[in-house]
Amino acid sequence: MTDESIKSALTEQLSQLFGSYKAEWLKERMFELFTEPSYFPELATPRPCLLLGGRGTGKTTVLRCMSYEGQFALHGKKSDTVSTWSYYGMYYRVNTNRVTAFQGPELSQEKWQRVFAHYFNLVCCDLIIRFLEWYYLHCPQSQQLSESDCSRVSLSLNLQPASDIASLAKRISEAQTKFEAYINNVADNDDMQLSLQGAPIDALMEAIQRLSPFKSKHFLFLLDEYENLADYQQQIINTLIKHSGQFYSFKVGVKELGWRCRTTLNPNEQLISPADYVRIRIADKFDGDRFLIFAQKVCNERISKLNQVGRSVLDISSLLPKLSEEDEAELLDKEGSGLAAEAARTLESVAPETTKNALSRISLLEKYFICFWAKGHKKDIRGEWLDYLRNPDTWKDRYHNYRHSLLYTLKRGKPGIQKHYSGWNVLVHLAGNNIRYFLELIDQILLRHVQSGQNLDVPISYSTQTLAAQYVGKKNLAELEGLSVHGAQLTKLLLGLGRIFQTMAADAAGHIPEVNHFHVSDPEPGEPPEFAKHSTNLLNSAVMHLALLRFAGNKLSDESDTRDYDYMVHPIFSAFFAFSYRHKRKIILSGKQLMGLVNEPRKTINEILTATNRIDTEPLPDQLQLFQGYYGSAS
Amino acid sequence: MAPLRDRPILIDIYDTPGTFDPERDSIFIFGSSNEERIQHIDAWRSHAGNTQFIHISQQEISEFQYLVEQTTKTVSLRSERQLLDFWREISAHTVYFDLTGFGHHVWAPLIRSGIAAGKRLMVTYVEPKEYRYTVTPTEGEIFDLSERIAGIAPIPGFASLREVRDENVCFIPLLGFEGRRFAYIVETVQPPGGKTVPIIGLPGFRPEYPFHTYLCNRVPLMQEIGSWKNTRFASANDPFSLYYLLQDIADENRGDLLKIAPIGTKPHALGAILFAITSPQKVELVYDHPIRRPQRTYGISRLLVYHISTFLRA
Repeated sequence: MTDESIKSALTEQLSQLFGSYKAEWLKERMFELFTEPSYFPELATPRPCLLLGGRGTGKTTVLRCMSYEGQFALHGKKSDTVSTWSYYGMYYRVNTNRVTAFQGPELSQEKWQRVFAHYFNLVCCDLIIRFLEWYYLHCPQSQQLSESDCSRVSLSLNLQPASDIASLAKRISEAQTKFEAYINNVADNDDMQLSLQGAPIDALMEAIQRLSPFKSKHFLFLLDEYENLADYQQQIINTLIKHSGQFYSFKVGVKELGWRCRTTLNPNEQLISPADYVRIRIADKFDGDRFLIFAQKVCNERISKLNQVGRSVLDISSLLPKLSEEDEAELLDKEGSGLAAEAARTLESVAPETTKNALSRISLLEKYFICFWAKGHKKDIRGEWLDYLRNPDTWKDRYHNYRHSLLYTLKRGKPGIQKHYSGWNVLVHLAGNNIRYFLELIDQILLRHVQSGQNLDVPISYSTQTLAAQYVGKKNLAELEGLSVHGAQLTKLLLGLGRIFQTMAADAAGHIPEVNHFHVSDPEPGEPPEFAKHSTNLLNSAVMHLALLRFAGNKLSDESDTRDYDYMVHPIFSAFFAFSYRHKRKIILSGKQLMGLVNEPRKTINEILTATNRIDTEPLPDQLQLFQGYYGSAS
Repeated sequence: MAPLRDRPILIDIYDTPGTFDPERDSIFIFGSSNEERIQHIDAWRSHAGNTQFIHISQQEISEFQYLVEQTTKTVSLRSERQLLDFWREISAHTVYFDLTGFGHHVWAPLIRSGIAAGKRLMVTYVEPKEYRYTVTPTEGEIFDLSERIAGIAPIPGFASLREVRDENVCFIPLLGFEGRRFAYIVETVQPPGGKTVPIIGLPGFRPEYPFHTYLCNRVPLMQEIGSWKNTRFASANDPFSLYYLLQDIADENRGDLLKIAPIGTKPHALGAILFAITSPQKVELVYDHPIRRPQRTYGISRLLVYHISTFLRA
């Protein structure tokens, strides 16, 4: 093979292993590449569970792997194992294009509830029948449903009696066709025979669990994208969840803030964790080093599948070397205006002769910091240097607090990479506990490395890692537009916040370091109430679609009150805008200002920066030039 | 693929709407819009002979209103009975239906019921001279066509409730200039990899439009692995070419559910609706219901007449 064909084959393999980071793209390979997360055993119990996580946190993969098709693949596609499983899961993705058909002025809310409950009965019974047909294909000698059971279920659905599984399947299929016609002409007020909420599912599950193969087995409905349901539809399924348990239960995958309605059809009856269900918030399950360990396992398992004849491959953390802050300062300063070198020279020129030896022992970055501090506090450099020598502990703390933020200032206004984002731990931070983002980063880094003619036995350069991180940020920013009905607004909000935090990072002297969070203030007196309403909707959408991360603030009292939370631009965008990816300090923004970033960006960005004693006069970094239209729109 | 002689293109093209004369004793149904290209009707109806006009004055989410003999009547879009009654009240056999001033959620169920009512239906459409450019372009938006989208919901009368397995889905987006709408639909449909067949209007209303379409949809096209390689083309103002193309794609994906997203030109959407009405293969329409900018186009170009009843009988 030629070098070019080896490169091409490796690129292809990498794309298949890391590039298909959406569950729906992987198809059958999803099961092959599945890495069990630490919370999996908790999820695989018979109890109802709510799996809560943002886009790309792996909900779909986990739920699909719990389905009978997933379990079959994970058990090596061996039919003789099927009867030994402890549970059988049936996967169902809530399809917006279906469930939105069940609303409108044609029927009362009460009637829509009955109609949707009937629809959901049909859906669940269809899922169970499909499973049974599959089961009997693999275990043909197993005991089948009796005629009386089939008949009972079809009558419960208000259908003609069925004699066996095949005829029950046919009855349900016909009922779905008839029901579709009914919904399409729902204003004609034709009579439709509806079933009682949950009754056919109970009848069918009860009958199944009397059969010998299914005694002591548990059945799970794996409902994905629960957020797509209307509030009243969530109430209907919440009711089923509340009262499930004996024969079957529900595992629900939902985005952050997507479970909007927590009551059952009885408005006084709430679903409560842990009494009614187990709440598994993926972000909580990945705190500390747990995401890092999981991500490492996922990557190394995928790397081990690479077929690189005659070549060794480094493990993922060795492939991604970290750049120390001191080394990075040297690198950036050489490419920039030499701010740090100039500071070092100034310091050397003012330092008393007797202190020169001590000065020679500290790094370029620390010398820069002493001058930076003196300038920011309008003090004499020589005096600060002497203070440094007198109070080493105080200065050690200061340096620790500021050293990272100094890096963002070294290439201010210069083209090229403003700040490096490299190293295994940094990339894990950028992903923000999101496995899809993490795989996107790794995919881009490895592809760029291979395409530059390198192999996977050589560590990847800092600049390759940084440019890939910028690319992934830009790609996800572009994709935000399509994620929701608020997509265009989300993009503009993020562009505005990104520019503010980027300018604050580059102009750090005399300011608190590493500002990348914000808190929403109470409405100003006389502020139109729609600002608060619109900004709340926008923030919720931003959290749901991972433009922002949300953290409980100081005075958390009500989950619906956005002012009680702190928000952070998702760290996946930090390399693109060039600000800190670390959880650090915050500014206060009003609802009016947030909406201003969408509607009057130039003016609002200036207003917010002016309030922090900064001016937005910096040229846009290279990677933001594409958005000149947005940034210059109101100027 | 059927030979070309069996694939008639039944379109009359008029260089300006003023040169179009409807047949005698026909009815002309039209809607409202702030766009310049719909306003020609006012000037033109005064000398349109004995053609009668029905103005659909209100287009709501679930119903529309029209004025007949000084009385405002309301028709639910999810009522086959009321829609058929609307057509039965029209005495003329030949009906022109002007697509230009209607939302998809109104014209699609009306055309379906018009065909079912046995009318000789011809659809007219006026091309705009130009689309409005946005002053704040982003990667997926160079035109300023929609204020926002209401969200994915079935077009009335076209809800599809049957579930199929993901591997039995072929996703066919009919692309326009609004990349974020395509991206939003991709995010919602989550088509399985490898079975997305985007369709671009080629030739476009103007020579440069197909390039704009690529540019505006670049991000989601690249994001859906390999989908850009599957792109097919049908003339932007020709519903029949689109219909034939959908037939070909259906033949290539026998047994699959075809999920068609009509977010491109209106003539393409018309072709998709005709296909959904007549196809023996299961079709699901996926639509995001954009809220249109009041003046999203400038000027008036050609008027086209589509002989859809003749086409469906052919």
